[in-house]
Amino acid sequence: MAETSEEVAVLVQRVVKDITNAFRRNPHIDEIGLIPCPEARYNRSPIVLVENKLGVESWCVKFLLPYVHNKLILYRTRKQWLNKDELIDVTRTLLLLNPDFTTAWNMRRWVLQQLLQETSLPSFVTKGNLGTIPAERTQRLIREEMEVCGEAAGRYPSNYNAWSHRIWVLQHLAKLDIKILLDELSSTKHWASMHVSDHSGFHYRQFLLKSLTSQTVKDSSVLEQNPLRSEPAQLLPQDEAAAASTEEPRINIPHLLEKEVEFTTDLIDSYPGHETLWCHRRHVFYLQHHLSGSFPHSMTTLSTADSLVGTSSDLHHIPTGPRTAQAMEVDGLSDSSKQGYSQETKRLKRTPAPHSVGLEMEHRFIDQVLSTCRNVEQARFANAYRKWLGTLGQ
Amino acid sequence: MKLFSLSVLYKGDPKAVLLSAAYDVSSFSFFQRTSVQEFMTFTSQLIVERSAKGNRASVKEQEYLCHVYVRNDSLAGVVIADSEYPSRVAFTLLEKVLDDFSKQVERIHWPVGSSANIHYTALDGYLSTYQNPREADPMSKVQAELDETKIILARKQNSCCAVM
Repeated sequence: MAETSEEVAVLVQRVVKDITNAFRRNPHIDEIGLIPCPEARYNRSPIVLVENKLGVESWCVKFLLPYVHNKLILYRTRKQWLNKDELIDVTRTLLLLNPDFTTAWNMRRWVLQQLLQETSLPSFVTKGNLGTIPAERTQRLIREEMEVCGEAAGRYPSNYNAWSHRIWVLQHLAKLDIKILLDELSSTKHWASMHVSDHSGFHYRQFLLKSLTSQTVKDSSVLEQNPLRSEPAQLLPQDEAAAASTEEPRINIPHLLEKEVEFTTDLIDSYPGHETLWCHRRHVFYLQHHLSGSFPHSMTTLSTADSLVGTSSDLHHIPTGPRTAQAMEVDGLSDSSKQGYSQETKRLKRTPAPHSVGLEMEHRFIDQVLSTCRNVEQARFANAYRKWLGTLGQ
Repeated sequence: MKLFSLSVLYKGDPKAVLLSAAYDVSSFSFFQRTSVQEFMTFTSQLIVERSAKGNRASVKEQEYLCHVYVRNDSLAGVVIADSEYPSRVAFTLLEKVLDDFSKQVERIHWPVGSSANIHYTALDGYLSTYQNPREADPMSKVQAELDETKIILARKQNSCCAVM
């Protein structure tokens, strides 16, 4: 048995070489797995290849993992060079053996950034009326990363790292492109409905909705600001016509949020007793009524929104706050003679106290759940939700 | 939300006899699958042995939830799922499977349960269909005759599953 550090190094290097050779021999390997095996059998490689599955006997992991991890650190601190292939093998090994390994995700993000920077091609292109959209290559990268995240999320419940990486890709590769956000919202819906306890998965949906919401408000506030400058009013109808003629998806945020509420209602009814679903409902409710301006227009309220979504990590730089507040002020200044009101402003002026209407509906929902549910946890969550609703707007 | 195994057993005295089983261990790492399947076979038998006739229960074992239904005629079914899978649908499935099995396999073969006599191939289909509970059981609401079942925490070696 290898004991000294030299023997360990020799052993591990041989194992890594075995892994690399296995990949070379079989380029279709789609899985690395651990084989529970407490002791090494004399002189046999711990690497086993069956069909397209690579097995690693567990006894060698306690040597392999620290070694590979260390290699990565040395590379990152520029003490030891790894070429692209070695880097790919190392991060892949780490991620497959431990899908929740934070540093490997960081490395992956670093590599992606390098990829984007090193090429002379633009990562975003203008496409006629569509404004800028991600270039073909960037789109492909985005799709691949989404797949990696999806796979990692499936292997480990509430995989925070996988979902954080997914958000990072949206922010830095996709630049929160609206069409991509909408696509992600619809494509993750089925996954979320089959993982009703996966808080990270639902948090991802909250992120998407929040980004779409703040972008819509931002866009409408830009439209609003035009008449306030010295530009003639005739330009505005033209801008609107121009906007209408583009193929840009017109997002109806209230409608999106309504659909999300229906989605959570459906899941809460079908799968009683999952706290994640109730938390999700809170976030969506807050977005709906924050948007319609039912809450006091103060910075403290907005920062409460941020803390509610629990985004204290630097990965989540969602543009809310100042821009949204600005939109509110613009709403206050405009008068009815101006054209080009946003959907949201019209709603605000048309419907009386949307806050109380929304609250009433939620209370009715809670009553319905409590009267029909037979699950103790479900009742507990429903009551907690009622209490939470009572704390709003205070 | 996953189903991992579906088994039909006969609650003999003292041992339970495995009559038919289907497994879906595809979500496990390739090299774990054999041992996971063995664990599920063993656990299903043990749970039936420790459950009383005419009872339903949901037993938590590690990160799995094992739903068991032992009929009064000693025919029993166990479905092993994760904690997201709705228990209501699991019991609907068990009821259905046992009903179907008892129609296709004669009672006389149950106590002995050799594979030569048990010709029942529907379990794989049921397991696959019920992976998506809403597709499989769209109209299911809580059935009046189904008693509220409590979840039993991981049992120790020498304690019996307390089934109500």
